[in-house]
Amino acid sequence: MGSRASTLLREEEIEEIKKETGFSHSQITRLYSRFTSLDKGENGTLSREDFQRIPELAINPLGDRIINAFFPEGEDQVNFRGFMRTLAHFRPIEDNEKNKDPIASEPLNSRSNKLLFAFRLYDLDRDDKISRDELLQVLRMMVGVNISDEQLGSIADRTIQEADQNGDNSISFNEFIKVGNVYILYIDIDIDI
Amino acid sequence: AKEKERKKERDRKRRRNVARRASSARKQGNELEDRPGREERRGRKKRDKEGKGKGGEDERQEEVKNDTVAKTQKNFSNENTRKLEQKEVEVVGEEDGDTEEKRKNGRSEKGGKKEDNGRGETVEKKQKKKRVETSEEHESSEEEEDEEEKVGEEKPEVLSPEELEKLKEEVDERKKLISTLRGKPWPMRKKLLTLRESHEFVEKYEGALGKGKSRKLYAYKVMMLKKWMKFQRDFENFKTACVPWEMKIKEIESHFGSSVASYFIFLRWMYGINMILFGLTFGLVMVPEALMGRPYGSMPRKTVPRADEANAMDFAVLWDFGGYAQYSVLFYGYYNSQRAIGWLKFRMPLSYFLVGVGTVAYSYMVVIRTMARNANEDGGGDNNSFNFSWKMFTSWDYLIGNPETADNKFASITTSFKEAILEEQESRKDDNIHLTRFLRVLANFLVLCCLAGSGYLIYFVVRRSQKFALEGLESHSWWERNEVNMVMSLLGMFCPMLFDVISALENYHPRIALQWQLGRIFALFLGNLYTFIIALMDEINLKREEEEVLKLNMTIWEASLYNGTLGANSTAPPITVHPADIPRGPCWETMVGQEFVRLIVSDTMTTYITLLIGDFLRAVLVRFLNYCWCWDLEAGFPSYSEFDVSGNVLGLIFNQGMIWMGAFYAPCLPALNVLRLHVSMYLQCWAVMCCNVPQERVFKASGSNNFYMAMLLVILFLSTLPAIYTIVTIPPSFDCGPFSGKSRMFDVIQETLESDFPAWFGKVFSYASNPGLVLPFLLLMVLAIYYLQSTSKSYKQANLELKKKLQTQNEENKKKTKMAALKAAMDLEEAQKARSEAPRQQRKNNASQQSYTGEKNTVTGHLVSSFVFVYPPAPRGHRIPGPLPGNQWQPAPSVQRVPNSQRH
Repeated sequence: MGSRASTLLREEEIEEIKKETGFSHSQITRLYSRFTSLDKGENGTLSREDFQRIPELAINPLGDRIINAFFPEGEDQVNFRGFMRTLAHFRPIEDNEKNKDPIASEPLNSRSNKLLFAFRLYDLDRDDKISRDELLQVLRMMVGVNISDEQLGSIADRTIQEADQNGDNSISFNEFIKVGNVYILYIDIDIDI
Repeated sequence: AKEKERKKERDRKRRRNVARRASSARKQGNELEDRPGREERRGRKKRDKEGKGKGGEDERQEEVKNDTVAKTQKNFSNENTRKLEQKEVEVVGEEDGDTEEKRKNGRSEKGGKKEDNGRGETVEKKQKKKRVETSEEHESSEEEEDEEEKVGEEKPEVLSPEELEKLKEEVDERKKLISTLRGKPWPMRKKLLTLRESHEFVEKYEGALGKGKSRKLYAYKVMMLKKWMKFQRDFENFKTACVPWEMKIKEIESHFGSSVASYFIFLRWMYGINMILFGLTFGLVMVPEALMGRPYGSMPRKTVPRADEANAMDFAVLWDFGGYAQYSVLFYGYYNSQRAIGWLKFRMPLSYFLVGVGTVAYSYMVVIRTMARNANEDGGGDNNSFNFSWKMFTSWDYLIGNPETADNKFASITTSFKEAILEEQESRKDDNIHLTRFLRVLANFLVLCCLAGSGYLIYFVVRRSQKFALEGLESHSWWERNEVNMVMSLLGMFCPMLFDVISALENYHPRIALQWQLGRIFALFLGNLYTFIIALMDEINLKREEEEVLKLNMTIWEASLYNGTLGANSTAPPITVHPADIPRGPCWETMVGQEFVRLIVSDTMTTYITLLIGDFLRAVLVRFLNYCWCWDLEAGFPSYSEFDVSGNVLGLIFNQGMIWMGAFYAPCLPALNVLRLHVSMYLQCWAVMCCNVPQERVFKASGSNNFYMAMLLVILFLSTLPAIYTIVTIPPSFDCGPFSGKSRMFDVIQETLESDFPAWFGKVFSYASNPGLVLPFLLLMVLAIYYLQSTSKSYKQANLELKKKLQTQNEENKKKTKMAALKAAMDLEEAQKARSEAPRQQRKNNASQQSYTGEKNTVTGHLVSSFVFVYPPAPRGHRIPGPLPGNQWQPAPSVQRVPNSQRH
């Protein structure tokens, strides 16, 4: 296994991934070992079942959505490059990256990309809007059968009413950012205290 | 064998690398340095696999957790390291001209190091746990390591070549150990442990070898920083783990909502207070008396009288706190009035008095302080603007990996949604305001009638029973003798139900309804308190009359004794009578204490029994009789019980009132109460989780249960009144308790001032207690209170005003955004029109298509215009050309960059 790890992960590949995702060398190697340990089929790609074996994802009501985020549309295998690309969303924003000129292409871990990732979790049909039905589905995942449909509907309505600004009865990414930013601000304050 | 060889080779390579690095082979530096790290990884991964083979599933889990946790922490640490790194690079630049190269090296090296530390932390934690288990085996190696650690810590500052050499040797040794570990005939656990230890060691010190001075200092600093952060984190965890019953309460909260949890939080708070009261009385009163005071049987007040001696040890007597229990440190009467006891010269009576006053003072302080703190918390910001969105998007905790925790989280999300729905419904409710007002007035009128009626009934019954008591109890029937108790318990049983029915009229929010309910039952129970105090005062007066008679008899008895012996033999030694035979007074203080203790015990028993019968038995019956019953018991009539928050809270509060009232006369009361609260915490937690169902309308309790506190304060005030009254006005018994022989209990202060303090102090004190000084002082205090209160009121008003302002501003903004969006859409449409105006006929033909594209533009127009509005100074926004039809995503990148550009 150890030998396979080195043969599959060539130096230039690492460089490319480094450039694309901003991970450090050691981070990449570590994530690669993690990748291979998840890969039960040992064919260099991960399937949905591989992800579902991670307990945190298995019990997460949105676990399926997170797993989906790893897979490009229409495919059910993901290789290491794709894996890293998705993981790059979770890399914290570092100080020196903030000061980059804004015209350059955005890194994957910028705040808006992070938010976009979160947004996509809720956007089931990938139409860049969270509609009432999508909210209802997610809610259903989160609370199970304990709350009646009618009440869930009212929650979804309220959520949309809060976040919707242009009155189209769905949450666009722009509106989502507003909620998200307010939330992050709140969290920041919390940590400072 | 192959594996082994490969390992050896790797090891050799690595060693070579180290050596090369030590001689600072700069050219290959970058490449080489990356290598050992990678190889290390590979090795570790393999070992991880081994562990998994042994069922090391948890290791994997930990890694996942590690990854995610690291994500949050690294953010923090990265900043610090980077800053340090920059500093460090400057230093290097001074030393060495070739900065660029070094910097590169440093980067990659640091990256690796960071990782290792992050990982090492958890490993270290595990190691510690394991170390305990296998400490005997590893004693020698541990010692070794300790030594090494010392060396390592000193190293960065003191850099003698011998030490460096030694360290290098150590590192090499470790590496050898790693490579040969597989062949060692040790148990797997030991192998893993040594492996981890060695790895950690190597990782820690390998990088430090053969670098410039500043690097080591820097590495040391980083290490210490990491250690410090880890310590802080652990300390936080430790603090949370120290909060008693936190897990239980959280679990209950997730299933039953915050209102039920608020009761348990209140119970825990009460437990804390009682612990302190218990510490005071136990440490400063009971223990000193038991250790240093005169022993049992040395004097009449410390001996069971001859008449009771026969059955003083019977269980029934002891259960009633008579017999030996009565003549022990548990009660007031046992204490001696000797001024100072033991070799410490402990001022027992003074201590007793001060502890009595101190418990009350402390309670006041704590209750008021908690109330003030809670009031502060209320003034939080605007929490409602994105309430549902937050619940929706952020409620799940992505670090949860344990199915049980996940279940709890599910329950708590559900509960919080239910609470939110209820709040929403309540805030939307706007039916006939006049009808509601009328009904509320009516309900209050009914409740007032109820309370007045029951008050009169209590008064009437008490008067009657006093009359009966004067006439002698024997001539009356059972009912007449127990009338007061029966009436009280009947009222306590039925009135709350009545109030509950009446409160349905009022149509309040359930939280406010709970407060009303609490207040009403509280008023009802005050009657209870009143009867109890009246009965007690009657008894005290009775005892005091008895005492007067006995004092007279006592002198006669003494005289007769003296005369008798004198008559027989005039030169006899002083008469010795056994203390049990000496007649003694009734000691009303002990009687009061006993009364309270009995009350508490019986109350506790009743609570527990009702819990067991009313909740547990009911639940069992409903559950198991349901199989063979004509209707559905679970859904139908008896059903499972709900947790009665108001009743339980009031029970707790009144119980505490009894403790405050009686603690002066029975120092054992706080101890009893601590026991009771402790047991009821566990019992009720269990009962709630196993036999209750969540309320139908789960509502969110206010975060600060200041209402409970307010009631507690009232009870505290009411219960200290009679206690202070008895202390100040009634002279203490002449032959029992620490204040015997004084005309008033507080004389002990005077006495101490006179004999223990210098004369001038007493003088100052007497001047200070002069009414001429005290009255102006009081006046001043009142004025200060008035001033502070009015300022706080104005602050509050200003706060509210600001809040309102913010809210309206928010709404205004929202409206403006909407308007701007609309306007932009119109503009776009017009532009579109203008663009396609040229051939009019064509437009007519394409009418349907036109409207379609126009619609599309509206959507993008919203995006653009909202962007333009929110961040007007950004010129880029204006530069955006009219979006092309059909290309919805075009403006998105610039919009996305908004938070970034705004930050600069």
